Amino acid sequence: MRRPFPFRRIVTYCGLSIFYIFLLLPIAWLVLSSFRNSDSVQSGRLLPAWSELTFQNYIQTFQISNFVTYLVNSFVIAFSVMVLTVFLGSLGAYALSRFALKGKRLFMMAALLPQFFPYVLVLIPFYVLMSNLNLVDTHVGLILTHTSLTLPFALWMLTGYFNAIPMELDQAALIDGCSRFGVLFRILYPVAIPGLVVAGFFAFVVSWGDYLFVSILSQSNETQTLPIGLQTFMSSLEVQWGLITAGTVLAIVPTVIFFSIVQRRLVSGLTAGAVKS
Amino acid sequence: MQANSSLTFWQSLGRRSFGYWLIFPALFVILGLNLYPTIQGILTSFTNQSLIDPGHSAYVGFDNYFKLLKDPVFQVALAHSLELTFFAVMLQVLLGLVMAHLLIQPVPGIHFFRSVAMITWVLPIIASVVMFRFMTLPGYGLINILLKDAGLGQMARNWFGDETYAFLLVLIMHLWRNVPFYAIAFMAAMQAIPADLYEAARIDGAGDWRQFWFITLPNLRYIILVMVVLHVTFTFNNFDFVFLSTGGGPVNATEVLPTYIYKQAWNGYALGYASAGGVIMLVILVVLVLVCNKFIKGLSEQ
Repeated sequence: MRRPFPFRRIVTYCGLSIFYIFLLLPIAWLVLSSFRNSDSVQSGRLLPAWSELTFQNYIQTFQISNFVTYLVNSFVIAFSVMVLTVFLGSLGAYALSRFALKGKRLFMMAALLPQFFPYVLVLIPFYVLMSNLNLVDTHVGLILTHTSLTLPFALWMLTGYFNAIPMELDQAALIDGCSRFGVLFRILYPVAIPGLVVAGFFAFVVSWGDYLFVSILSQSNETQTLPIGLQTFMSSLEVQWGLITAGTVLAIVPTVIFFSIVQRRLVSGLTAGAVKS
Repeated sequence: MQANSSLTFWQSLGRRSFGYWLIFPALFVILGLNLYPTIQGILTSFTNQSLIDPGHSAYVGFDNYFKLLKDPVFQVALAHSLELTFFAVMLQVLLGLVMAHLLIQPVPGIHFFRSVAMITWVLPIIASVVMFRFMTLPGYGLINILLKDAGLGQMARNWFGDETYAFLLVLIMHLWRNVPFYAIAFMAAMQAIPADLYEAARIDGAGDWRQFWFITLPNLRYIILVMVVLHVTFTFNNFDFVFLSTGGGPVNATEVLPTYIYKQAWNGYALGYASAGGVIMLVILVVLVLVCNKFIKGLSEQ
C-alpha cells in the first residue's frame, strides 16, 4: 500500500481525534466519576485529587437492595436468549440452506418482515397475549420475547454463513454415516463459528439492553433487569450520581468484554446477512 | 444452485419433511410473537380497548384515527419523529463516510481505532443515556465544567431541561451510537473496491475528490442503502433514547411517536387509541423504506 504523505497523516490523526474524543469522552468521564467520592463529583472540578478516588461507589452499589437481583436477572435472561437464538436460528438456517423447502422465499420474507414493525404497536397485543399465557412477570416470557426480536437476524445471517459452506462437506459426512443432526453439529457448526458467535453476541446485546419490553412485561423485582434498575436509580428522588455511574459501569462491563472478543468478526457478520441475501 | 443439487440429494434419502421440522420452532417464535401481535394490533386500532378492562371492547371504526390526526401532541410527536429520523440518518451517512475515509488510511495505530470504533453501538442505550445526562448536568456536568474552565460560564445551562438543546441532545445520542457502525460498514465496503480502479483514475488525472465521487461512492451504494433502511427503521422506532433521557419533555419538546404511543397505552390506558398510532407509524415506516429504496436506486443509476 502507498504510504501517505506526512501532511495526509496529520490530517488523518486530527480527524480521528475529533471523532474519538466525541465517542470516548462520555465513557471515560463515566468511568472516572464512578471512582470519585461524592464530594469530588460535586466539586465541579475536572480532575479529582488522588485522595478523592475510591471504590466506595461500587461497594455501595452492591449493597443497594435489588442491584444484585437485577444483575442476575439480566445475566439469566440474556444468556438464555443467546443460547436459544443460536440454537433455533441455526436449526432454521440449516433447513433454509440445505433442504428443498416449498415457500422458502416466503419463509425468509416472513422472518424478516417483523423487523420493520413498530415495537410500541407490537407491545400492546403482546402484553395481552403474554397475560393470557400467564407469562407476564416471568423469566420465560422475557426470554421468549427477546428471542423473537433476535431470531430473524440470526436466521438470515446464519443462512448466509451455511450457504457459503460447500455442500460436498455434508454429503461426505452423510455417506460416512453421519446423522442429519450430526451434519449440523459436527460439520456446519465448526466451520460457521464466526457466524454463530456474532449471532449470539447480537442476541446477548439486544436482550441485555432492552428497556421497552421489560418495562411492560416485568412487574416485580423477580424479573426486572439492569436497564430498569438503572432507570429507577436515575429517577429516584435523591440522585446519587456516584452510585448511578458505578452501576452503569457494572452494566457495560459484560458487553465490553464480550465485544472485545468478537470485535474482529462483528462487522463482517452484521453485514453478511444483508450482503449475501 | 445449491438448493437444486440438495433437492435431489435429500429427496433420494426420502426425508423432506425433516427440513420443515427444523425451521418450525424459529418461525413459530417469530411469527407467533411478532406477526400475530401486529395483526392483532391493527385490529385493536379499530376498537376502544382499554387497559383497565382489556376483555371488553367495542368496534369504533376509524374514530381513533380521526381523533389522532386532530390531537396536537400527536402532530408534534409525528413532526419530531420525522425530523429526528431525517437528520439523524442523513448526518450518520455523511459522518460515517468521513470516518470511514479516515479509518482506511494506512497510518500507524489505525488498527486500534478500527477495533474500538463499534463500542458505542454495543452498549445498552440506558448506559448511553446515563452518560449523556451525567455529562450535561447543570451543576457539575462535564460540559458545564469545560465551559466554565474556558471562561464561557455564561453558556452553561441545564442542557436536557432546555427545549432546543434537549432535542439536539437526542439527535447527538443517535449519532454517537450509530456513526461508528456506518463507518465500519463503509470501511469494509471501501476495502473491497479493487485498487486498480483508483490507479486508472489517477492515471486519467482524477484527484482525491473526483476519485471519491466517481469510484468510491458508486461502489458503496448498496451498503449505503442497507444502512439507511436499517437506521430509518431503528431511529423512527426508537423509544429508549427519548423515554429514558427526557421522557418526551420539556413541554413535549422531544416527544416522538414511540414515546407518545407508549404513554397513551400504558399511562393513559387507551390501548385502541395507541394501537391506531402504532398503525400510522407502521404505514409511515413502509413508505419511508420504499422511498429510501427508490431514492438511492435513482442516485446509483445516474
